[in-house]
Order: sequence, then C-alpha cells, then structure tokens
Amino acid sequence: MPAAFYSLFAIMLPGGSNNAAYLLATYGVFGVMAPAIFGFGISVANERDRGWLDLKRASPSSAVTYIGAKICSTLLFASMSLIIIYAIAGFAAGVRLPTATWSLMLFVHILATFPFILIGLSIGFLCSNNAAVATSNVFFLALAALGGLWIPITIFPEAMKMFAMLLPSFHLSEIALYVLGAPGERNIMMNIMAIVIITLALLGFTRFAWSRQRS
Amino acid sequence: MEHSPSILCCNTLSKSYGNISAVNQLSFEINEPGVHAILGKNGAGKTSLIKCAHGLEPCSSGSINIFGHAAGSIHAKLRTGVILQDSDLPDLLTIREQLTLFSSYYPKPLDINSTIEKCDLGDFVDRRYKQLSGGQKRRAQFALAVIGNPDLIFLDEPTTGLDVDARRTLWNVIREFARKGKTIVLTTHYLEEAENLADNIMVMAGGTMVANASADKLKAQAQGSIIKCDTMLSESELQTLPQVIDVSVSGRFTHIQTSQANISLIALLQADPNLTDLSVNQPKLEDLFEQLSTQGEQV
Repeated sequence: MPAAFYSLFAIMLPGGSNNAAYLLATYGVFGVMAPAIFGFGISVANERDRGWLDLKRASPSSAVTYIGAKICSTLLFASMSLIIIYAIAGFAAGVRLPTATWSLMLFVHILATFPFILIGLSIGFLCSNNAAVATSNVFFLALAALGGLWIPITIFPEAMKMFAMLLPSFHLSEIALYVLGAPGERNIMMNIMAIVIITLALLGFTRFAWSRQRS
Repeated sequence: MEHSPSILCCNTLSKSYGNISAVNQLSFEINEPGVHAILGKNGAGKTSLIKCAHGLEPCSSGSINIFGHAAGSIHAKLRTGVILQDSDLPDLLTIREQLTLFSSYYPKPLDINSTIEKCDLGDFVDRRYKQLSGGQKRRAQFALAVIGNPDLIFLDEPTTGLDVDARRTLWNVIREFARKGKTIVLTTHYLEEAENLADNIMVMAGGTMVANASADKLKAQAQGSIIKCDTMLSESELQTLPQVIDVSVSGRFTHIQTSQANISLIALLQADPNLTDLSVNQPKLEDLFEQLSTQGEQV
C-alpha cells in the first residue's frame, strides 16, 4: 500500500515528480510502519488469543528469542517494502541521489521500524484478536496522517503541529528529510533527542504491557 | 542423605481475579511419580492452579515449587511439559516442525522419531496442524508436552471434547509415560478418566482440596451400601443406628451410607415401620465425588 500511494503521489499526479524525493523520505517511514505495527499488533494478539503464546511462555523458550525472531521477520518485510519504494523512486520517479545519501536514508528508515515495533507489541499484549486489528489501524493511520507523512505538517494548524511533536512518525520523517537535504528549517538535534525519548518511553510501556498480558 | 525436594509443592496458594477467589489457601505436595488426577467441576480452580504452576498467572499469595524451583522459573520450566486448556498450535506448521522447535528448548529432548511412534502420530506428522482432527490435535499437543523429556507433565483437561476412541488412545500414551517413572498431573472433570488412569486422586471444589488419596483408598471410602428411603426419623436418630457411616437428606429422601446394609436395615425398619420408597444401592465413586464437591462448595 505505501508503494502504491507513493506511485500515485510522486509519479501520477501532475507536479508530483518535483516532490518525488521529498515524498521518498516520508513514504519510507510510512512503508516500515505497516509491517511493524500490523506484524506485531495482530500476530501477537492472534497467537495470544489461541493460547500459543501461553504455551511458549510455559515452555523454556525465551521471550527474547520469540521477540527477536519477530523483529527479524519484521525487518525483512520492512526492507521489502523499502526496496519497492526506493525502486519506484529511483527508476520511475527519477529521484537522483548520491550513494551515501541513499545508504544513510536506508539506515534511518530501517531504524525507524523500532518505535513502531514497540507500539505494535503493546497493542498485541493488551488487545484481544479483534480489537488488535482495529487498534492497529487507528494507530497506523493516525501516526501517518498526523505525523505529516502524507501532507507536510507546515500546512497544519498550530495545535496539530504541536501534537505532531509527540509522534515518532513526525520526528523520523524529519530526520529522513534532513538526510535528504530537503529545503526547510529543522532542528535535527531536537528530532533525534525526541525520537530517543519517545522510543525509551515506548520501551517502558511495552514492558508494562508484557507484564499486564493475561491469557 | 539429603532430603530431595518434592516433585510439586503447593504452599498456601491463593489466586483471585478481582473479587472472585479461584484458589483458596491450597496446600499439597506430590512426592511420588505416577499419574495424579486433580478432579473437580468447572470453576473448582483446576486451571488457575495449572496457570500458577507455570508462572502464567502470578499467585495472589503463597507459592508453588517444582523440584524445589519457583514455578515459572527457567529451572522449573526445563523439567516440565504441559498441555494447556484452550491452547492451539500454529495452523500452518506441520507437527514435525513444531516438535523440532520445541525439542530445541530442552537440553536433553527425546528423539523426535521415537516420540512420533510412541504418541502414535505417524499418520499425520507431516501434515499441517489445521488439517488434523480434534483427537489428532490433542495427541500432537501431548507430543509437544513430552518432547523435552520432562520429569513432570501437566495435562489440563487433555481429553475434553474427544470421542471415546481418541480418549482411549491418549490414555494409553499417558500410561506409557507414567510407567517410565514420569509424574503426570492431570486435571479432569471426568471421573472415569481419573479412575482409569490415576494412582492418586485429588478432588478440588471451591478452590480448595477436599480429598487427596490413592484411587484405591477413595474407592474403599465409597464402599458399603446406600439405603435410600422416605422416613420420619431425624438425621441424628438415624446416625445412632448400627453400622451407619453417614446420613444425608435431599428433598424428601434420606440417604444412609452403611457398611452393612442388612444390619442397618433391620434396625431402621424397627425404628420406623412406616417408611416408604425403600431402595438399597451400591455407591459409586461418582457419588463420593458428588458429595465431596458439594461439601467443598459449601465451605
């Protein structure tokens, strides 16, 4: 879906190609959000619902292995999503960037999965199977729209701009835009600080969610 | 010689969910290998006990130790295997794949091929879980519970929802493991299952243990005869009759448990010549279970 959206806005819409590079930075973040939030939110809730997670918890398998394996598969799917978006950007939308910039942006986009993984995990631990689908969608769409991944936040009203400061999607897309050298004023140190703080807060919340999960 | 820790030691365990108490000050020990059945009706606290024994739910108070290790610790988990109630395996993996996965968790697992043979999985081991019948699924779950070669195996209502054949197949497999010196703790609400499999039967009701004895001893308790009749005599008067063990009243009928029916009967008929609806029956373990469960719930 992120790849399709990207094609629509960066290639097909008139004037889109002027924004193709800018949109690459924000849609890259959008692209990794889906596997991270849905992969964890729905699959963990589903496995918990059917008692499989309980059986794993009762066995001597470690939680680290369970979550580690899920992180690996999420990174794989996130990378696939990124490869498609990058390919569309490079071959179809005519985005030309130095290799170093491509690599650094890939690095930022891959790291961007982690805060969303934590959001997905918390949803998986706290929600039932059906609620997880709905909740994941709410978080996914809200983080994308309000974080400025679709429409630049500069055209948002003041209150929404303030709210975006709380969202990891906003800070991550700002970092990706900085890497790209996109025009506009941004305080990159503040974005990095903010994303570190948000990630740590999410980590704390995920630990709480893990301890609160009930069969 | 140092005293080795109990296989399972449950010490004043309580578990409540909000205001609802599921397990109440439960204490017992299992020191002998073999099959131990925990018998109880729905809501007696069996599953809460199993969950606490695996650290899936925190105990509200008290403790459970397995081979001297706290329940839920890695040392306890390495020596236990389990079938949880309402626990399904991933649909898309084959049974062989799941066995391989679970055997990797344990230091000295059983050989996968011999486990497949022992648990009678040969026909469907390479099929995906979702393609199996209920009985096959349960056997696959049992195989996962034993693949790690654990010394203590918990089976939470392993045969609920299975037909007679599937149940008997599973019983045979369970017996096979018990013969090898393993300890099996099995919860069930089928008396027949406990009678057929267990060396020791514990009866739970209302979150407490109302009986804990060998199957033979419990059966002995259920011996004698039950005289059922409609009589004018009070319970205390009936208690004084010869050979009477226990008296209970339900509706208009009085049940008199006696060790020798003919002696009690003569005395009873002399005391109340006008009694009606007289019958004499052999009690079943079921009656005892019913009686114990009712007593437990009243406490």
